[in-house]
Amino acid sequence: MLTKLAWKNIWRNRTRSGVVLGAVAIGLFAGTYLSAFMNGWMLGSVQADIDTNLSHIQISDTAFSANNDIGAYFLQTNVAEKLANTPSLKEISFRLILNGMLSSANNSVGMTANGVVPEDEQRVSTIWKMIPDSLGAFLPEDTRAAIVISEKTAEKLKVRLRSKIVFSFQTAAGEMQTMAFRVCGIFKTSNSAFDEGQAFVRYDDIFPLTALPENSAHKAYIRVADLETCEKITPELKTLFPDLSVQNWKELNPMFAMSLEYMDLYAMIIIGIFLFALAFGIINTMLMAILERTREIGMLAAIGMNRSRIFRMIMFETVFLTLLGSVAGIALAIAALIPSLHSGIDLTFMMSDSFEDYGFSSIVYPVISAEMFVEIVILVILTGILAAIYPARKALKLNPIEAIRS
Amino acid sequence: MRIIETKNLVKVYTGSTVEVRAVDSVDLVIEQGEFTAIVGPSGSGKTTLLNMVGGLDQPTSGEIIVDNVDITQLNQKQLVDFRLKNIGFVFQSYNLIPVLTAAENVSFIMELQGRVKSEIDTRTKEILSDVGLGDRLTSRPFQLSGGQQQRVAVARAMASRPKFIIADEPTANLDSKTTEKLLDMMLELNEKENITFLFSTHDQRVVNKARRVIVLEDGRIVSDERK
Repeated sequence: MLTKLAWKNIWRNRTRSGVVLGAVAIGLFAGTYLSAFMNGWMLGSVQADIDTNLSHIQISDTAFSANNDIGAYFLQTNVAEKLANTPSLKEISFRLILNGMLSSANNSVGMTANGVVPEDEQRVSTIWKMIPDSLGAFLPEDTRAAIVISEKTAEKLKVRLRSKIVFSFQTAAGEMQTMAFRVCGIFKTSNSAFDEGQAFVRYDDIFPLTALPENSAHKAYIRVADLETCEKITPELKTLFPDLSVQNWKELNPMFAMSLEYMDLYAMIIIGIFLFALAFGIINTMLMAILERTREIGMLAAIGMNRSRIFRMIMFETVFLTLLGSVAGIALAIAALIPSLHSGIDLTFMMSDSFEDYGFSSIVYPVISAEMFVEIVILVILTGILAAIYPARKALKLNPIEAIRS
Repeated sequence: MRIIETKNLVKVYTGSTVEVRAVDSVDLVIEQGEFTAIVGPSGSGKTTLLNMVGGLDQPTSGEIIVDNVDITQLNQKQLVDFRLKNIGFVFQSYNLIPVLTAAENVSFIMELQGRVKSEIDTRTKEILSDVGLGDRLTSRPFQLSGGQQQRVAVARAMASRPKFIIADEPTANLDSKTTEKLLDMMLELNEKENITFLFSTHDQRVVNKARRVIVLEDGRIVSDERK
């Protein structure tokens, strides 16, 4: 009966209830949309960084991870043998990492040349997908001394597909070496800093010049099923390779990791501000609703409705209002988000270069999580209940005799 | 059988400079099934007396025994429960819940009492038929006239078969024809269900219909007459 009465009570003043419902719905819509957008933006950027740049886990010699010393290598066979017994690993790509200078007839730029086995690399990173059909391919088999550079590097060096460029670096023996390459592919990722500093060559092409022992590598790039597995497997690998440096994407890019962790906090702060404003709206609405019904509440108390029931009736009214508003807000948010789940929200119209300079994707695929919706709805209802305590207490303080006379 | 007994009942309102004895040493006995009007000029203490007997107000001193329970000794929570189980109220301005239908207004108290649904439904229909509104079960208060609303209020007060019904100026907002009808109906129910009625009034027509008339002046009973 209480619930029925509470439900009917909220429709007494449709305009006022409608305003509160609208406020809850719009606030919740904005909160969930923004939260889904920010989560999607962050997760998308992290995923893009993992796909193109970091992979999930990297293994290297401790000295190499500290100062990129060409002489700080490990033997692929030693690492591969141990990793063979770790079933959660999906793919591994070993890389030689050589820092040097990339020069064309027009210009020179500092560059890190990654010596990779193309077939392995294509299973770990997605650089090969970032090369448009018109701009070549990722180290195809039929090309010797091929190099893949970024669009930014090509612009700086003023070179095109099939142009000849020269890479100079210091070998492990301390000698300078130069090798001529022909551009076979030009890529573009959403991370400008990565694009400006990375090039890819065949391991077999560059290795003979490095003066490193047979089978050496500077880094093993490891891909696992997902971020959760990555979290789980990192400590295991650290134990497996006590003498090597094992770092997952979070350790390799702590800024992103921190941003991802704080994303929930940002969302909560925004939602908190909305809830704070909502609380005042509810206090105002419920106070008005109670003032209007002073005589009726006095009558209810007189005929024997106890304080607990009066309190619960007012609480039910608030819960119904906020719950209805929440459902409407979430429905609005889902309706607005669904079209962009697959196509993404294109931010290129506003400073796409600036985003990419910091490694953030300029196309955002919002991430909806049922958990997030449930959390927000619970928070809204809790806010409603807390905000309704003051008006409800006012109602409980009414003296039935005076209330009936009013 | 005694339903209500007050012993040396006093209610004093203390203002900043004056002290008003709204009810002054009232000894009163109401028997089961009586149809009693309390009359007197404004400020004579009628409403204060009814409020105290109905457990809505606490006396300054004295006892109020209802069905062998001294209700002045009950705390607020016990009083609310006592009112729910033992007393029916009819108010001057009907005080129906506007969002509920006539039937829902009547069944509300029985639901608060925790009665079973089938019993509630049967009793609601029965009592609304008794007050002549058997065909208006689903009408909301705004769809009913003042007289009809007061009849719903009487039905609500009687539905749970309380020990007695307190009605504070029940006809004050009604025209004479409607007043007549309502009083006849209340008398009929009083006889049919043997429910005790205690009401305050200024209305001579009500006084004429009452079986017992108690006159209050300055908080004291100056006359108590059974017809």
